[in-house]
Parts: sequence; C-alpha cells; structure tokens
Amino acid sequence: MSTTIANAVVTNPPARAPGRSRSWTSYVLIAPGVAWMLLFLVLPILMMVYVSFWTQTTFTIKPILTTKSWEMFFSSDTYLASLWTTVRLWLIVLGCTVVVGYPTALFVGLFVRNKTLSTVLLVLCVIPFWTSFLIRVLAWRPMLGEQGAINIILMGLGLIKQPIEALLFTELSVVIGMTQIYCVFMVGPVAFMLSRIDPNIIEAARDLGAGFPRIFRKIILPLSMPGVVVGAIFVSVMVLGEFATPAALSGRKTNMLGNIIVTQVGSLKWAFAAVAGVVLTLVMGMVVALLLRIVDLRREL
Amino acid sequence: MNSAIVKPALAVYTGLFILFLYAPFIVLGILSFQTGPEGGPQFPIQEWSTYWYRHILGLTPPSRIAPLPIGEALIRSMVLAFMTMVVSTVLGVLSAQAFRKRFTGAGVVFYLIVLGMMVPGVLVGLGMALVANALGIDRTWWGTAFALHVVYTFPFAFLVMLAIFNRFDASVEEAAWSLGVPPARTFRRVTFPLIWPGVLSAMLFAFTLSYDEFARTLFSSGRELTLPLAIYGTFSVEIHPNVFAFGVLTTLFSFALLAVYAILMGISVRRARRLAIQEDIA
Repeated sequence: MSTTIANAVVTNPPARAPGRSRSWTSYVLIAPGVAWMLLFLVLPILMMVYVSFWTQTTFTIKPILTTKSWEMFFSSDTYLASLWTTVRLWLIVLGCTVVVGYPTALFVGLFVRNKTLSTVLLVLCVIPFWTSFLIRVLAWRPMLGEQGAINIILMGLGLIKQPIEALLFTELSVVIGMTQIYCVFMVGPVAFMLSRIDPNIIEAARDLGAGFPRIFRKIILPLSMPGVVVGAIFVSVMVLGEFATPAALSGRKTNMLGNIIVTQVGSLKWAFAAVAGVVLTLVMGMVVALLLRIVDLRREL
Repeated sequence: MNSAIVKPALAVYTGLFILFLYAPFIVLGILSFQTGPEGGPQFPIQEWSTYWYRHILGLTPPSRIAPLPIGEALIRSMVLAFMTMVVSTVLGVLSAQAFRKRFTGAGVVFYLIVLGMMVPGVLVGLGMALVANALGIDRTWWGTAFALHVVYTFPFAFLVMLAIFNRFDASVEEAAWSLGVPPARTFRRVTFPLIWPGVLSAMLFAFTLSYDEFARTLFSSGRELTLPLAIYGTFSVEIHPNVFAFGVLTTLFSFALLAVYAILMGISVRRARRLAIQEDIA
C-alpha cells in the first residue's frame, strides 16, 4: 500500500511544497528496510566490537572491559598464523580467479558477438550455483582424492605413475575448490564491461595497424578494469569470510580467521571469537578500500 | 585483431573452463550410483545401484551408516526460505520505490543496504549470537536466523528492483493518474504488471539464497538444524555416497524451482506481448 502513496505524491500539484512531501514519502518507504538493517546488521557488528573488549572466563563472558582478548590474539602464534593464512589464501585465490576467469570473460564478452550464444555461455557458468554451496565444496573430494578422478585420469593417460597425494587435504585443494566456486563472480563483471566496448574502437585500432597484443594492452585491459575491480571485491569479500571450504578440503590443516571464529564459538570463547571477527572486519575493510582506490567505480560504471 | 588464432584459442579455453566448473558434479553424480552400504565415496564403481537414493528416503534396511538427518531440516529450510522470500521482496520493492526520487541520505542508505550482502555470514552470525545472548533471547531458525537471512537477501531484491525501476517508463503511471485512475488501482493495474518480472526474479534470488545459506545460520539458529547445517554436520565425519545422492536430489530440486520461474516468466512475457498486439490493433 505504501508504494501507492509514493505514486500519489507525484500527482500532487508541485505548488504544494513538492520537495518536502516527496522526500517524506521516500523516508516512509525506506524506513522498514533501514530499520531492519540497523537492527540486524549494524547492531550485531557493533556488539561484536563491544564484546571483543569483554572479560572472558572459562565458559562465560562478563561485561567488564579489558584488552586481554586482544593481547591474547596478537601474542598467539595460532591466531597470527590464521591471519596470515587468510591474507595468503585471499591473494592466491584472487589471482587465480583473475587468471582463470579473464580469458573466458574475454571470449564471452568481446569475441562472441551473437547475443544468444553469449547468454547461453553465461547461463552455463551460472548453473552450478543452483547446487548447494556445501555440495559444491564436497564434490571436490572425489575429484582430488588419492583414488579421485583427477589421479585416475592422469594415471590412465600415463602422465604419472603414483597418485598425487598432495591434491587433497592440503592448501592446494582449498585453492582449487575456492577458485572453482568463486571465479564466476569474476567472469560476470568483466564480461559485462567487455561487452560494452564499442567494436568501432577496436576496428579503428586495427585499421591503424595495431596487433592484438597492443589492442589488448591499450584498449581492452584498461576498459575492463572496473569489471575486474568489481569482481575482485566480490571474490575478496567471499574468500576472506570463508571457513567451510578449508574445513571440508584441507582436513582441518588450513585455518582461516573464519575457522578460528567457528572453533572459538564452539568452545564458548565468545570474546576471542569477537576479536577474530573484528580483525577480519578490519582486513576486509582495508582490502575493499584498496580495491576501490584502483578504479573510481562511480565514474566508470 | 588476430582473430584467426585468438578466437579459436579462447573458445577452446572457454570449453575447458566450463568443464572445470562441471567436472566435480559429473563425478559426484556418477559416484552417487555407487553400490551400498559397503561402497565408498571413491572410484571405481563396484556396482551400479540406487542404494544411496533409497538410503536417503529411508527405504534401505538399517546399516552402520546413519541416515542423513534431513526430513525436518528440509521442511524448516523451505519455510525459512519462503518467509525470507516474502519479507525481502516486500522490503526490496519498498526501498527501490523510495529510490525513484532523490532524498537526502540516499547514498548512505544505499551503502547500508548493499552492506548486507557483502558482510560475511560468520561476522553477522557471530554478532547476532552475541546480541541474542546479551538480551537473553533464544536463538532460533525462525527468529534470529530469519532476521539474518533477510539482511542477506533483501539487498539482492533491492538491486533487482532498482534495475527494473531504472528502465521503468513513469509516463504510463502519469497517464493513468491524469485519466483519474486512483493510485491504488494504478499500482495494481499498471505499475505492478510492469515490475512483475523483476519481483519474480527478486523472489527467486531470495528463496534460493536463503535455502542455501548456512554461514549466517550456523551461529544464529540454535539447536534445530536447517538443511545446509545438516550437510555441514557431515563435513566432520567420514562422508558416504549418500551425501552425493543428496546433492543430486537438491540440484534437481533447484532446477524444478528454476523451471517454475521460467514458466511464470514466460507467461508474463506472453501476456505483455498480447497486450502490445492489442494496442497495435487499437
């Protein structure tokens, strides 16, 4: 019903203080959404920051402010190692998604000029998302295991004699799994930016004698950068907040900050979990700020 | 450009890329037909059978492998996804409607909403658990977890509706009003049919995202498990092909959902076309 109120306002003659009454209805319409976000998104995050300064006892937390949990975090090798693991995995997976995804985006966005075909290809890329995320992660186990599909195929081709054991329950398996799960988030935005390139520009460059490498470096790459940045933001945020893929594919050897949070909550160490959560939030904020530095998205999109 | 080499090379690469995306599912699908209960989750297939599918449905004699605890979890997940779908679509339509006019603070509000889909589930889940603990509220899938699911799906619904309203020709609404059609009726007869494809997409997004969501649910849902949590529980123990069979079944369910969406979308497109033809004749 309130949607109709907004419509009604437009019909009012502009003489009746248009600016004011218009924004008033906008506020009414936006209020439920904003209230929901403040209550269930902002408040929990603030609570997490607050609780990270509470006192942790064996099984409970008390609202007595202290920096003990923070000192504990930055003096513990386990926590610092997980911070490093998180950053390292983020960099590796981000690099992999760009390298693996970019050529596909290039093909779909630039080379396929047939609209139907490019839509079909993009839909093909998206279909795996209709399977449960956890199933997608688990599906890598029979692929990578010692008797997994990859080893069987490689041995069948005679490329290797012994099964490669390093494929499963290592950091490599986590990287492979995450790259597969997240690279589509890179392909989409990049393909979108590439499809907006005016073919005449490339045509002109070619007429002036530029080869493909030069056209790629001077035209295609710069024009696709906003897409890469948007994709990188998606991938970064998701990878940094991960815990399920390492849990399923690393055999509990790779612990990201997300895994630390899960274990700490499991043993009721809420304050420590909150510290890890705040650290993760800060890392994520820095990463996103850094990526937004590269390209001014507001101007480019 | 040297399309002669570059284009075929990229085409082959894209083929390999799609294989990379699908290979795990193909393997998973094949292994779900492993014999049971002694067959393990790896090659070779000892004997083809539908044992693990029957195992999921509880049609096999009891064995040492416990059945997946999915019965009630499935119902909970469906109810939760439905609730999330309704609330986030309504919020999405309202908010996008608000954004059709400029208002002070629109930029901040935009980022606040989009933040909901960006903040990782572990963080909001943890925060919500802490808030619930501090206030002494029980954590339930239909309460705290539901609130977080909407935080996650509402931004998607909002963005979809925003895109729809961006292409929306407001002059048809104005025409209806100037002809004296009341606003409520204008919304029902003019605006809503025009934004219906967007609403449908927003609903599809919200339902599937919520149905599959587990990072947010993990800390905020308390004792009663939703479907993804039941699957997550199998991570820590030895996995059996029943998880694979279950994966095949949920994928089929998602496709059924997609088919319903496609049918509804097709109907609305056809109706729009018929109206356009009528207009042409008139």
